[in-house]
Amino acid sequence: MSLNRREYLSGSLALGLTSLAGPTFAQDRKATLRHLMGGSVNSLDPSALGAARECYSVTQSVYDRLIGFRRKKVDGQWTFDESVIVPELAERVQRSADGLKLTFHLRPDATWHDGTQVTAEDVKWSLDRMVSAKSNAAAQLSSGSMTKTEQFVIAGPNVVEINLPDANRLALPNLGLPFSVIINSNLAKRHASADDPWALDWLKNNAAGSGAYKVETFRPSEQVVLRRHDNWKGGRDRKIAFFERVIAQTVPEPATRANLVERGDADICLDVQASDIASLRKRGVAKILPISPTNVFTHISFNTKLAPFDNPKVRQAIAAALPYEEMFEAAIFGRGRKLFGANWTGEPPTSAFPLPLPNHTDLTRASVLLAEAGHAAGFDTTFTFATGYAAVAEPIAALIKESLSKIGIRVTIQKVPDAQLFTMQAEKKNLPFYIDTGSAWLPETFYFFWIYYTRDQRWNLGNWTNARIVELVTAARTETDAAKYDAYCKEMIKILAEEAPSVLTFQAAIDGVTTPSIDGFTYHYHRQTDYRDLIRT
Amino acid sequence: MSSTLSHAVWVLRGNTITTCAIFGVFCLCIFALFAPWLTPFNPLATDVANALQPPNARHVFGTDQLGRDILSRLILATRLDLIIAASAVVLSFAIGSLIGSFCGYLGGWIDRIVGRIVDVIMAFPLFVLAMAMVAVLGNSVQNIIIATAFINLPIYIRFARAEVNVKRDMGWVEAARASGHSDLSVTVRYLLPNIMPAMTVQISLNLGWAIINAAGLSFLGLGVVAPTPEWGIMVAEGARFITAGQWWLVAFPGLALMLTVLCFNLMGDGLRDILDPRMRT
Amino acid sequence: MSVWRSIARRFIRRVISSIPAIIGVVIVTFILMRVLPSDPAVFFTSSSVTAGQAEIDSMRKKMGLDQPLPLQLGMYLRDVARGDLGNSLTTNQPVVKDLLRRLPASLELTFVALVLALATSIPLGVLSALRSGSLIDHAVRFLCTIGVCMPTFVSGLMLVYVFYYLLGIAPDPTGRIDIFVASPPDITGFLLIDLALIGDWAGWRSALDNIILPACTMALFVLAPLTRMTRASMLGVLGSEFVRTAKSVGLHSWRIVVVYALRNALLPVLTMAGVVFSTMLGANVLVEKVFSWPGVASYALDALMASDYAPVQGFVLLMAFIFVLVNLTVDVLYGMADPRVSIE
Repeated sequence: MSLNRREYLSGSLALGLTSLAGPTFAQDRKATLRHLMGGSVNSLDPSALGAARECYSVTQSVYDRLIGFRRKKVDGQWTFDESVIVPELAERVQRSADGLKLTFHLRPDATWHDGTQVTAEDVKWSLDRMVSAKSNAAAQLSSGSMTKTEQFVIAGPNVVEINLPDANRLALPNLGLPFSVIINSNLAKRHASADDPWALDWLKNNAAGSGAYKVETFRPSEQVVLRRHDNWKGGRDRKIAFFERVIAQTVPEPATRANLVERGDADICLDVQASDIASLRKRGVAKILPISPTNVFTHISFNTKLAPFDNPKVRQAIAAALPYEEMFEAAIFGRGRKLFGANWTGEPPTSAFPLPLPNHTDLTRASVLLAEAGHAAGFDTTFTFATGYAAVAEPIAALIKESLSKIGIRVTIQKVPDAQLFTMQAEKKNLPFYIDTGSAWLPETFYFFWIYYTRDQRWNLGNWTNARIVELVTAARTETDAAKYDAYCKEMIKILAEEAPSVLTFQAAIDGVTTPSIDGFTYHYHRQTDYRDLIRT
Repeated sequence: MSSTLSHAVWVLRGNTITTCAIFGVFCLCIFALFAPWLTPFNPLATDVANALQPPNARHVFGTDQLGRDILSRLILATRLDLIIAASAVVLSFAIGSLIGSFCGYLGGWIDRIVGRIVDVIMAFPLFVLAMAMVAVLGNSVQNIIIATAFINLPIYIRFARAEVNVKRDMGWVEAARASGHSDLSVTVRYLLPNIMPAMTVQISLNLGWAIINAAGLSFLGLGVVAPTPEWGIMVAEGARFITAGQWWLVAFPGLALMLTVLCFNLMGDGLRDILDPRMRT
Repeated sequence: MSVWRSIARRFIRRVISSIPAIIGVVIVTFILMRVLPSDPAVFFTSSSVTAGQAEIDSMRKKMGLDQPLPLQLGMYLRDVARGDLGNSLTTNQPVVKDLLRRLPASLELTFVALVLALATSIPLGVLSALRSGSLIDHAVRFLCTIGVCMPTFVSGLMLVYVFYYLLGIAPDPTGRIDIFVASPPDITGFLLIDLALIGDWAGWRSALDNIILPACTMALFVLAPLTRMTRASMLGVLGSEFVRTAKSVGLHSWRIVVVYALRNALLPVLTMAGVVFSTMLGANVLVEKVFSWPGVASYALDALMASDYAPVQGFVLLMAFIFVLVNLTVDVLYGMADPRVSIE
């Protein structure tokens, strides 16, 4: 349909369903970005407990952090590059030779949304809040060896220092993450109380930032409207954002989201359905974002402390019996990167993670392994997935059930609400074998392993304890020698491939679309839109 | 009895719709009984190479995301859907009418307590109650049946109670009691059969409703778990493909669901005309 | 005067007798939520990279979940009595605030749907009663039955597909109003009222456009019982003594139908409409999901899936309350409009 829907409407018999479309509207529409999402923005404080991932879209633009990451073009697509730090509120960062001190020089001209100046006191207060308040920030910053308020020191007007106990590789990158927002401390303190010294409650519903956009209206779980901050200094090339207004709206029905973008009623959506992508591409009316995320993976994990999956042979047997190609084609329509079918043995060719592992569908080998494990006759087990991931996991579950039945393993499929899967993962009971996704904001191999394959905590995918992995992760954390670091990482991957506490399947492409006029989309580690990147051509 | 039969024949002759509906229900039962022999393909066998094919000579209703034959899945689903509907309705009917009859017959404090409990159930938003029950018990077929049956209970309890209340003081009940039958026996052997005709109408209408209810639960992810073929989950899965133009994934199960419920409802209407002349309208 | 007194007495009796039911609902929902197999404390620590047992336990403590169940229930009942329904963990807001903001959306939708349904089913019911047994009668019955045979999510998706996607005459199904046309004021929360109050007719039009499809979806589903009830009660009245008398004295036939018969036949229909209203309000979770309608039912569903106790409990309590209220209203109306009075 070449006609714009609204033009079409005003000229047609619209059965009483017409809308008024004036010239002011058209102008306003052009300067407005309308972003649709399936989830919802439930907090304006990204680090608040229970804050949804969708919040980062908004908070990345409403707040500044001390630093950000560069973006680079890979295959014609903008992607984040955490290896190069770019300024946000800090115009300069120095790292001492021993890696134990970080010095931040703030922009002297940066202002809050209310017009007052951003000071070193604000930064100190915000850093203190990150490690002290009951929020998700404290846990995150501890991965960068920042745990105590004494580590943060005001070293002069517009200069803040951070002292570190070890030369943690992740200390600096941690300050560019969504949780590390710098808050207008004077404004926040006015809304703090003795019970709530860090203004956690107030900041959930109110913003006190210096970022590219101000919050105009915030209806939790429905929509957020942002208005441009015209005096923003934290931008790339010190330019203000392109769009005057941003509307972020929750639309639960995925087909509707695709429809809206296709018709030009909405501008960007990062969570349409994989099934819609092909037809949208065929019709050529919307721009498909070719994003293969580098820091996300889908995995099928086993509870390695629960029989029969405590036997590595059983896990290897299943790894050899999974119908990889079919899963890749049927569940994500081949849109993504395969994490199976590699040909290396022993050490992997690269230290980057996630990477394709040498898993192939080989039922004969699977049967042999199963027999060696003493389960020649197979066994009964349950395969679990979360309702929220059903679009991908449901077809995969059907394929796995069918494929495993060929080597005698009888699978019962269990679909549970997301909250229930989380509980099962935390309790590590009644969850023998399941599918889920994992991601790490900082795509360092040892960081992936630290989150997903060490410690007794909810994210330990396979409920797996491996002493060597723990040693390697600890060593890699502060290793400055690149060659040694690579060697550590390669050994971790080698052990993972052999022991198979979990099997990597694929990295599903983000199913994002925009209207053809939208440009500049950048893939970020948090997998949300950053409104500051976008322009209309 | 023969007068009822001749009345039935008379009603049916004048009412093509009811006749068709009864025939439809009969066909559904045949499908359900002989499903494994009627399916042209294995309903569970995947064939990813032939996924998402539109209806064609080989796959009359097309194939789904995993290349499974939709017609075969529809036929097999008849069985599960009818089982869910029938079990849920039978369960709530059996328990509900028993409780209701006793309350109506005995009256007194038991009646009052049960009445209060029914009030509590009725004050719930019933679909949400069913959702919560499935969320608590886990989404297996058995639990969907239990949840559906449970939210239907009040209807049967109230219905049976009202009917029995009217009839308990009638002469033939007195006679049964006088001839030495216990309360239990009077209720089960005399009163219950007597209120059956009126209940049958309710049952038929409820069958259709139970199918819709189960489908709604599936749509929200609280129903039957794939790959088990069930119309509701087929529609829910197919709904994802509507915008991609793959309409056959949702159209055929949707149609099957609709026709089945339609048959039950029309049959219920017809049965009302036949069995319950009082309520004829 | 004595009529009013008896109504008042009945009203008070009904209010008192409905209190145990509401308390029962609160307790049952409370227990139902606690036996959910998911632990909200885990759900709300899940963004943390160190989500270990200690962290989960401290979250449980913060949420008061480490207390014994009867104590938790007691505390909840105390809070409810004070009008505090707790906080939602998913929206980070007090449940009362969330419900109050979302209730008008649900009420407005249900109300419009009911009006649509009544506007269709009453003429249809009257028509089939007048031509009872004819082809028209059968056709009406068949059409209405089809409506009740389609699950609302199927008919909703179909309407969206046809009217928005294929024909492009309906607005996008993303809520209550086109955000580019108007931003609604917060007066009553009923957009059709608020926008009329401030005289924003473009916005009013947009709100109307947005409500039509979901309201039709819901109306379709309740058409059958309402039409059936109209037909039955109309037949009853048409066969009654006074209509036959009216006919025999030579009154014009449509006058009899509209003025005498319909007026008397509507009472049971309105009673039923009350029941239908409260059922619809609780059952429109599917419609709200399909049309992204920011109502209370979809709010409760999201909370249920996230194991967020307070919103689900609050929602059920609210629905039970409305249910009782609607029944009361119907009861009172019935008392006031006793058919024996209006026949004279």
